[in-house]
Amino acid sequence: MTASEVVERIRKNLGVPWNEQTYRDTFKAGDPATEVQGIATTFMATLDLIQRAHAAGMNMVVTHEPTFWSDRDTVTELGGDPIYRFKVDFCNRNHMVVWRFHDHWHARKPDMEFGGLARALGWEGREAGPNQHVYKLPPTTLGALAADVKRRLGARAMRVVGDPRATVSTVAMGVGYNIPRVSGKIDVAIGGENPETGGAFDDTEYVMDAAFFGGHKGQIILGHAISEEPGMEDCATWLRTFISEVPIRWIQAGEPFWAPK
Amino acid sequence: MAGTAALAGRPLAGQRTALTAAEAIGRIQKNAGAPWQSETLDTFKAGDPATAVRGIATTAMATMDVLARAARANLNLIVTLEPVFFGRLDGPPTPAGDPVYAAKQEFLRKNGLVVWRFSDHWRARKPDPLATGLAQALGWRPYQVAGDPLHYDLPATSLQSLAGLLQTQLKARAGIRVIGDPATRVRRVSLLPGVSALAATMKDLPESDVIVAGETREWESVEYAADTVAAGRRKGMIMLGRVLSEDPGMSVCAEWLKKLIPEAPVRWLPAGDPYWRPA
Repeated sequence: MTASEVVERIRKNLGVPWNEQTYRDTFKAGDPATEVQGIATTFMATLDLIQRAHAAGMNMVVTHEPTFWSDRDTVTELGGDPIYRFKVDFCNRNHMVVWRFHDHWHARKPDMEFGGLARALGWEGREAGPNQHVYKLPPTTLGALAADVKRRLGARAMRVVGDPRATVSTVAMGVGYNIPRVSGKIDVAIGGENPETGGAFDDTEYVMDAAFFGGHKGQIILGHAISEEPGMEDCATWLRTFISEVPIRWIQAGEPFWAPK
Repeated sequence: MAGTAALAGRPLAGQRTALTAAEAIGRIQKNAGAPWQSETLDTFKAGDPATAVRGIATTAMATMDVLARAARANLNLIVTLEPVFFGRLDGPPTPAGDPVYAAKQEFLRKNGLVVWRFSDHWRARKPDPLATGLAQALGWRPYQVAGDPLHYDLPATSLQSLAGLLQTQLKARAGIRVIGDPATRVRRVSLLPGVSALAATMKDLPESDVIVAGETREWESVEYAADTVAAGRRKGMIMLGRVLSEDPGMSVCAEWLKKLIPEAPVRWLPAGDPYWRPA
């Protein structure tokens, strides 16, 4: 089975129409005609991840996020960069193929990037309504909620805003570069990554100010990788339902950060 | 200075100066060092520009905590780098009637505070005031690479020690995040306060041992730095968070305003690290 046959199989089983204009869900490295020995699904095809996938005998990487450091994986100006050369050479030398699976993976209903994170957090069955990405939890404190989230996800460098003693229950979830608004009926916004200020609506400053007035609000910033890795585990499970010719394994890119003590 | 006629009818009791907020900002605009842009974020966001200035506070972000400290210190003109009303355009959040927005507006009104944003033109000043402030806060001026406020040659240390030093010196809570082997020896530091793009990381990382950045994206500079490490280079990147990285730059702003506006006391009020982390 070749890498392009794997993608054909994915397109057939997707359940949503393929957008031929997608610049995201395309091959990023290697030859699509390569015979696939095994498939690794992951949050992001970092060099370290590609090296580990190779060591595990998985020569096709299905990555949710970019390989070459920009949303469009623009490589036209990277030719002289030694890290770019190193990464490309590693892929070529080891017959590694990288294909991105982002837009169409998110387009399925339910979106398993959200489903995966809810599963990892133990929040299955708590969604306020289908595909709303709002979860009703038993009332707790922001401090206890954040501690539970950190323990379940193993996040070393997650960050929290708000009064740890605030009573919270209604949580809006985002994944990736998305943290929902914490205004209105939402107590806590949880998500991957966001601009700290200067966006359309800045949760960080809003929650700090709400806490000043005694409001019960919180923001939990997991990190992009931490928020989207569980969904790519579900992607591996899904791929196994229609690809049986080769082994499929979820290999975590891993949290890129550590925090000083 | 405004004449008394122009100030007639305005409450002046107990005020040390007759300078209005509009006049103070006019002086900033004339001395910004570059022509004032017509399309800019740098405008009044709250309060009456005709208010007599009792004192000026500079800050990276005019949070409620900063505003309360300013009011207590009798500083009624707040010069903020980042928004006051939780969004790029500093407008009221939708839907209307947001209680936090209303309470903040009420606090500003009751305390007679004026908020003016100073972002586009302050960032454009040379030498880079945010990098200069960060280096000053860290005591790195003696290590500056000649004529270059973005680069410093420190006595060699480990990435872990450097991260710890930043944590202490900047009074960080949980905002600092690091990429790279903690044992990596680092000497040349590149500063990228605020938000920076991939191009800056790709230019600076090969020339430096470590980048100290404010905010970068995980699928851009963060992945590039991680890949650089995976390719065997002994490098690191430290992300401070946007506000923590910009705070000291507003101390430079306070020093500049003290000379420009001698009529009023000027004080830097750091916004601080917004983040904490459970154990």
